[in-house]
Amino acid sequence: MKQKVKKDDSFIRRSRWTGLMLVLVAAVTLEATSLIQFFFSQNAIRQEAALRAESELESTRLEILNVIDQAESAVRNNIWIARWCLDFQDSLSLVTSRLVSDNPVVMGSTIALVPGRYRRYPLCAPYSYQEPGRDSVLTKSLATPEYDYPSQEWFTKPIELEDGYWSEPYVDEGGGNILMTTFSMPIRDEHGVISAVLTADISLDWLTDLVGNIKVYPKAFSILASRSGKLMVCPAESLIMHRTVQEAADDLEDTAAAHRISRAMLGGETGSEDIVYQGKVQHVFYSQVERTGWSMSIVIPDSDINGHLRRVGGVVSLLQLLGLLMLAFILLSYARNQRKNRELTEKKNKIESELHIARGIQMAMLPKIFPPFPERKDLDLFASIVPAKEVGGDLYDFFIRDEKLFFCIADVSGKGVPASLVMAVTRSLFRTIATHQDSPKQIIQMMNDAIADNNESNMFVTLFCGTLDLKDGHLVFCNAGHNAPEIISDGVRPLDVLPNLPVGVLTGMDFKEQETFLHEGDTIFLYTDGLSEAENQAQELFGEQRLEATLQPGLAAVDQLRTMHRAVHTFVGEAEQSDDLTMLCIRFLGGNAETAEKERSIVLRNDIGQISRLADFVGSLAREEQLSEPLTVSLNLALEEAVTNVIMYAYPQGQEGQVDLQAVRRPDALEFTLTDSGKPFDPTAAPEADTSLGVQERPIGGLGIFLVRKIMDTVAYRRTNGKNILTMIKHI
Amino acid sequence: MEVIITTQDSVTTARLIGRLDTPAAQEVSQAVEPLMAAADGTIVLDCREMTYISSSGLRIFLTLKKAAASKGGKVIVKGISDNIRQVFMMTGFLNLFEIED
Repeated sequence: MKQKVKKDDSFIRRSRWTGLMLVLVAAVTLEATSLIQFFFSQNAIRQEAALRAESELESTRLEILNVIDQAESAVRNNIWIARWCLDFQDSLSLVTSRLVSDNPVVMGSTIALVPGRYRRYPLCAPYSYQEPGRDSVLTKSLATPEYDYPSQEWFTKPIELEDGYWSEPYVDEGGGNILMTTFSMPIRDEHGVISAVLTADISLDWLTDLVGNIKVYPKAFSILASRSGKLMVCPAESLIMHRTVQEAADDLEDTAAAHRISRAMLGGETGSEDIVYQGKVQHVFYSQVERTGWSMSIVIPDSDINGHLRRVGGVVSLLQLLGLLMLAFILLSYARNQRKNRELTEKKNKIESELHIARGIQMAMLPKIFPPFPERKDLDLFASIVPAKEVGGDLYDFFIRDEKLFFCIADVSGKGVPASLVMAVTRSLFRTIATHQDSPKQIIQMMNDAIADNNESNMFVTLFCGTLDLKDGHLVFCNAGHNAPEIISDGVRPLDVLPNLPVGVLTGMDFKEQETFLHEGDTIFLYTDGLSEAENQAQELFGEQRLEATLQPGLAAVDQLRTMHRAVHTFVGEAEQSDDLTMLCIRFLGGNAETAEKERSIVLRNDIGQISRLADFVGSLAREEQLSEPLTVSLNLALEEAVTNVIMYAYPQGQEGQVDLQAVRRPDALEFTLTDSGKPFDPTAAPEADTSLGVQERPIGGLGIFLVRKIMDTVAYRRTNGKNILTMIKHI
Repeated sequence: MEVIITTQDSVTTARLIGRLDTPAAQEVSQAVEPLMAAADGTIVLDCREMTYISSSGLRIFLTLKKAAASKGGKVIVKGISDNIRQVFMMTGFLNLFEIED
């Protein structure tokens, strides 16, 4: 009797021990999976942040250059008339006052003669300027003994350089302490001798608003410095024009990094660097404004970029902890319930059922609701997985992104808990990577690198990954050591795949990608070796010949799988299933008249004249979809604004480019996708226009993007493969 | 797009006929140049035959209004269609202009 009690105790101890181990292993896997996911998300978020900062810098730079250009061209356009007037020196002031009144950005202008060049006027510099607060232009002479214009920087520099010159910014005390800068250019007389200098002063007040208001992230701020490093815009107003970037760098705690950044900025470089400021890591992105020699930078606190991710990470860890506690509780109560079972066979059963609980948790990760995309008429998909008695490591997965079906099927080497854990990691990697990557080759290579790294248990995974373009049936795939899928068209034939090594064997492996087209009604049937190597009692294999003979052209995906299950079942008979049996069947129905009618596209050149073609496109779309007249006008307006934006700003002037517009009719919405290969630009990052402002405060521009956002229900931007992709959805 | 400008006493009227889209706005901004000079009086933008306006068209309207506001003149927008009224409402232009039927 005594002996019996002892036995009981040891069993409970042992089963608790097993349960604890299982929870521990599950915990380690979950943590590893989250870490990998965290790592990839963090990279993606960093890249996104860098992209946003760079695109913001770029658009601000363009806005600055726009004003700079206006002043420069005002001067350049007036050089010839100024040259002509050199012989009629009394008329010089006419040129300067015309220049000021015709160009609202120009606050003042002078033509200053080279001293001693003309006998009649040894010194002469009529200066025209906008009278503050009024619209009139006044003229005075700068040739006064106090001022001594021939020694001023704006006069000497252009003569020395024999070219146009932007002066250092300065505070104009006469005009109400405004920050100004001057563009000056030498004028040559008919003999080619530099005889005078023509200038234009512009106010830099708007810079403070423009640069100061860049808000990529809530706590981000921006800095603008002149050629010599003087701070022109920065959050601490007391430093503006009083300190240089170098001096400011001296005061920062991370002096070394601050000096590196200030040197790079003054050297006219474009780039980024991290710095510790006020005890926190900050990312600094900088870029140069050419011609003026100014340098601009955006400083983004790391907490702005990664803070959200960390919070999410915290919640996920908490959820995982809860899940593990529940698992532990289930296992422990299970162990308690088993108190009465002492037989060795029953212990084995218990361990197996625990393993099946673990397997069940993992199976729950796979998509299991069929049909998965009931609203789609271009796709018929069905999948099934029959786990063997001992847990294995098969998996399949699929999802639709950007009108493409991403799918994979995989078989992890070996069986048991280790295999199923690797399966969980594999599935998680596929989801994480395929959300960002479009190419199956890239997806597999990244998965391979992640799994092969630290692969001490030498587990590997055979994997087939593909993308099916639902618009035209374009199938791109990459095979990593998996069985060749079958293509069911008029007949049945294996897809011609390159073998490649399985995933996880060797870091840095180069996988080969292949492509083909599925025609309307074609099916691709993927399976794991649990099907082809199913054994009957005579230990014969089911084999590819039987498999191909079972598949029939024209069957729906679900029937294809049903027939296959029946055939295997009949073949195997009473023999025990030794391996997971997984099948994924994808039938492409797209390209039919109905779908074709619902998709239209147009390619426009970057020429503003193309807007009329856009109007025709929208008109015919409206007729076919029977859209109301007000809706048509709104859609036309929003699309014109979005397209105009690309035509005007995406490509450098004079370079030919194009913009593709695609319209897709959804059951309850119209979806427009605008694609161009121009420079990165995120129109959704532009600040919201304030429609409550009065006439005087209201800026002239900025309404285009505002209208797009106002009219469309969803506007989303992303940059992929060097392309700007703007998706706009209008519910109808 | 066609623009017909007539002047009577201190009232300058610009009849805008057709679609004021982005390419049209480039021509129109030159065609209404004379209105800038008349911005100290009353400018009437007759939109009864204007069927469409984009943001570049709105810019021209706003530029004229700014000129008029600084010179003490006024701008009256006449006869806008329901579709264009919708655009004016979204952009807050209804509050900036005197609108007449």
